Amino acid sequence: MDPHRPETRRRMTRTSALLAALWLCALWLPRAATAQSAVAVLAQGTRAYDDLELDNAAGLLRRALAFQGSDALAPADAARALMYLAATELLRDHADTARAVARRLVLANPRFRPDELVFPPQVLTFYEATRRATPAVIGRAPADTAIRPGVEALTVRLYASTFHDVTAALATEDGRVVRTLYSGPIGDSLDLHWNGLDSSGTAPLPNGRYAITVTSLDRQRRVARILRLPLEVTQGRVDTLPHPAPPADSLLLHERQPMGPGLRALAPAALTGVAIAVLPSVVANGEDASGARFVVGGTVTVAGIVAFFSHHPGRSIPANVTHNRALRDAWRREDAEVARRNAERARGMVGIRTGAPVLLTPEAP
Amino acid sequence: MSRALALVLLGITSTAQAQGRWNVSFGAGGAQEIARSRIGTTRERVSGLVFGGEGVATRGRLLARVRYGQGRVTNDTAGRDVAEGEALLGYKARPWLTVWFGPHARTFVVSGQSDRRWLFWSGRVTARGTLFPGRVETFVELWQGVTGSLSRPAESATGGGAEAGLDLRLARHPIWGRVAYRVEQGRSSGAGRRETVEALTLTVGYTPPR
Repeated sequence: MDPHRPETRRRMTRTSALLAALWLCALWLPRAATAQSAVAVLAQGTRAYDDLELDNAAGLLRRALAFQGSDALAPADAARALMYLAATELLRDHADTARAVARRLVLANPRFRPDELVFPPQVLTFYEATRRATPAVIGRAPADTAIRPGVEALTVRLYASTFHDVTAALATEDGRVVRTLYSGPIGDSLDLHWNGLDSSGTAPLPNGRYAITVTSLDRQRRVARILRLPLEVTQGRVDTLPHPAPPADSLLLHERQPMGPGLRALAPAALTGVAIAVLPSVVANGEDASGARFVVGGTVTVAGIVAFFSHHPGRSIPANVTHNRALRDAWRREDAEVARRNAERARGMVGIRTGAPVLLTPEAP
Repeated sequence: MSRALALVLLGITSTAQAQGRWNVSFGAGGAQEIARSRIGTTRERVSGLVFGGEGVATRGRLLARVRYGQGRVTNDTAGRDVAEGEALLGYKARPWLTVWFGPHARTFVVSGQSDRRWLFWSGRVTARGTLFPGRVETFVELWQGVTGSLSRPAESATGGGAEAGLDLRLARHPIWGRVAYRVEQGRSSGAGRRETVEALTLTVGYTPPR
């Protein structure tokens, strides 16, 4: 095979392109297959449940829930898988397992409600009983905000799985309670407010890491769950207004008379003076020119010098100085105003950054 | 030569018609003139006053200038009358630069002899610089004879010259003045005659208001 032949070259190029395409497919396919399989396994699991192939359904649903990381099911699909798994286990007469799965679902998403058209009444009743027996809350708060302590407040919205009592407190990282925010019952949802002040209610909280802990209590007033929402508090952290740019050079006028106009007046006079001095030797070479020409040359030169100084080079221009001063003063005033407003905005402001909530359960699910 | 001049005049006239009316200016003055003649090793120096007048007409970029002066130049042993004049057409190529063309003549008259006249067709360039706008200007003018002739002895001649000085205008008055230095030299082709004229001129003029 002669590699220099055009046909051979074409064939080699085609083969290389095919190999490259295959290699790309080999790289891409496993990811696609994995991503499909979590959802596909869930679909197979729900189909098996519908066909009452309960053992098969339980296995498939557990497989679907076992995917981790980027291959894991989305929260909505995971909730759906848990619900189907709880129903499957209940129908398999594994009530304890079904309760554990249902409780896991309640803790992950207290607001989840099973579809009444999909699941039979006994499953719905079972899930409802589990939900009522599993007091838990989840919280939603702005990820990054700033408040004026004592005037404004950070709001954390709590959603409950069931009606129960909660206590909410702001605590330091090591668990010391700084302020109790709420203590009482929660129904469907509740807004917690923290006004940024410490336990005395007068001073803003020092910089540091804190957490809002919401403790869910069961009917016996025992701790059932603890929601921990990390907070990072920073004093005076606030977005500031940008300072104005100083006046551009193009807006400023010359404060002193430039040399240019004076030199432009002096130059022709100097040239003429020189011309008068040298012209006789150019025009009438060999003749002794009279010295009288220097009278004219001197007159012209003196006139040029007078003209030069009449432009007052380097002298201050009061009108331009006033104009520039007005521009600079306006800029300084604006700059000072921005600085004042920034200081005012920053005074007493507290920046609050919230982290991902963590749910702690003292007892095993 | 005359055909070319006619063409130039025709062009100037047609251009002038397109550029509005003429503005004129008049002046009169005197000059302290020094004339030096040299033929071989013979030298002669005479000096004296020459009085004369001038008129300048301007229309747009076109100019016409006429000057005439006469006087007497003498030394301890001899004297002669002198008459000189020029008639030039000019074009202002730039606000500060004018080019000229036209005849320029000087005649020395000695009693008992025929006149000796230098005649040149000259091309000139005048450059101006402003010291005080509208009030004081400097100028330098250079000229070179394109063709020239000397009448006695009848020979062809070459020559050139220069003038430089200061123009002054009074504020809000149509009066102007000029102080200038002028130097010219003519050379004849045959006998080797060379005549150099220097002059310090003082001119006062009037430009009628528009």
